[in-house]
Amino acid sequence: MAIRSWPLYLFLTALSLMFLIPFVIMLLGSFQNIEQAIGSPSEWLDAEFTVQNFIYIFTNNDFARWIFNSIIITIVPVFSQMFFCAVLGYIFAKKEFPFKNVIFWGMMAVVMMPGQLLIIPRYIMFSEFQWINTYLPLIVPEIWGIMGVFFVRQYMMTLPKDLEEAAYIDGANDFTIFWRIMLPLCKPVIATVGTFSFITNWNDFFTPLIFMTESKMYPITVGLASMLSREGHFGIEMAGAVVSFIPTFLIFLFFQRYFVKGIALTGMK
Amino acid sequence: MKTEFNKNAIVYVFLIPILIHFFIFQLFPIGFSLVLTFMDWPVIGTPTFVGLENWKQFFQDKLAWKAIWVTIKFSVMYILPTMALGLVLALLIDSGRKASGIFKGIFFLPVVTSFVVISGIWAWLFKGTKEGFINGMFALIGLEPQLFLASSKQALWVLAALSIFKVCGSTMIYYFAGLQSIPGEYYEAARIDGANKWKTFWKITFPLLLPIHFYVGIITTIGSFQIFDSAYLLTGGGPNYATTTIVYYLYQEGFNSLRLGYASVLAYILFFIVFGLSLLQRKYLSKDVSYK
Repeated sequence: MAIRSWPLYLFLTALSLMFLIPFVIMLLGSFQNIEQAIGSPSEWLDAEFTVQNFIYIFTNNDFARWIFNSIIITIVPVFSQMFFCAVLGYIFAKKEFPFKNVIFWGMMAVVMMPGQLLIIPRYIMFSEFQWINTYLPLIVPEIWGIMGVFFVRQYMMTLPKDLEEAAYIDGANDFTIFWRIMLPLCKPVIATVGTFSFITNWNDFFTPLIFMTESKMYPITVGLASMLSREGHFGIEMAGAVVSFIPTFLIFLFFQRYFVKGIALTGMK
Repeated sequence: MKTEFNKNAIVYVFLIPILIHFFIFQLFPIGFSLVLTFMDWPVIGTPTFVGLENWKQFFQDKLAWKAIWVTIKFSVMYILPTMALGLVLALLIDSGRKASGIFKGIFFLPVVTSFVVISGIWAWLFKGTKEGFINGMFALIGLEPQLFLASSKQALWVLAALSIFKVCGSTMIYYFAGLQSIPGEYYEAARIDGANKWKTFWKITFPLLLPIHFYVGIITTIGSFQIFDSAYLLTGGGPNYATTTIVYYLYQEGFNSLRLGYASVLAYILFFIVFGLSLLQRKYLSKDVSYK
């Protein structure tokens, strides 16, 4: 369905401008010394250009600490998910053992249940474990995920059996086959699992809101939200938004196609 | 000859710890939350067994029903626009092949941005005074300033607009994948028969996307029943409970009023709704449309 070119591009450009306006406002606002208003154009044009907002958020908040917390609770699950989902994907795609399908589809079914069902029992459990205000409740449950296993499994099932058989004949064991043959072949799908895990964990708001009650332990999402409800200064708030947006944006720029794949596969919003 | 263990060593080394992990962090909590619905479990103090008390209370709790109603209203405002916009964006980038990567990236940007960042911007856009950006624009073209988030009539619309903006990029991806799986011969045949673009869309593209419509419809609905972040960040459930959704109410009851037993009932109500929707999905997805 080829539509004639230039009206299409005009329309696309207009639409993308609408999508970009909020981000442009964020970026411009973060560099302006502007108290309240963004409504009147005159105030926008008169406002002075400044980097004070950025200095302020780092000196008057636990901002650096929040970013550090976010990095910890994101990086650990990203790498452990890539590893465990790859191994388990291999196990479920290529190995035979008792109850294989019951275990796999049973886990898939349980994960389909809404996450809100888990939050209260986990809160009680983690209080008992003394895990509140530590990184553990945000890391330990996230070290692997059945959806990631599902991707890897689907991908590996398409790889020909001959590859492994040749390696077995040469005397390789499972670990060697997984590490030397399967893993290199599965780089794209493992990158998808990792990228997806990054965005989900970095942007998570609900879980840390429950398990982190001390400001020092907030990740950037909860920290930024607490800053937004406190400041009432447009420039400062937007500076905070920009800084917390940058890592997601960079990951998005570099791994866009993996992330798109992840969205298409998981059915997540 | 290798022993049975050696042949499957990798299975036992990795699967057993993962199964234990699964039991502790998934299976046990889900069973535990069912037990919790029969308990009075204040965060501080001793839990007591109360039988069906929490469930009875749910049926009499006007606020809980209001929260369900608010969530349904939100879904109605949100689902169709998200699907329609996603489809339009997919059609556009599908036709504009040359620059489609850039546009796809732009439409997708809100999907990867956190709700907190978008809500931060949205709060200023929809400020209910003349300082708000949208009210500023309204003033330029001579429209009355609106209350937006401070109005119990408008606040839910603003949240719906935010969610549409945030999510339609992912709907676009599903539709884009769907469009690319429609074989070119159909369009070829339509062209030879002299069908115009409008007709081609309604007679070929739209019906052939049927499985995608169902899939996107169901996951968007499931997502909309779990809406929380924007209600928490932008309106705090207000004004006058106009944006208190099921999950927001669950959060309030569980972690502000510290009634974990009752909040578990709400979690199960949410589960029943989402489960029902998933069954629908399965029923309709099994009727897969075949292209050949």
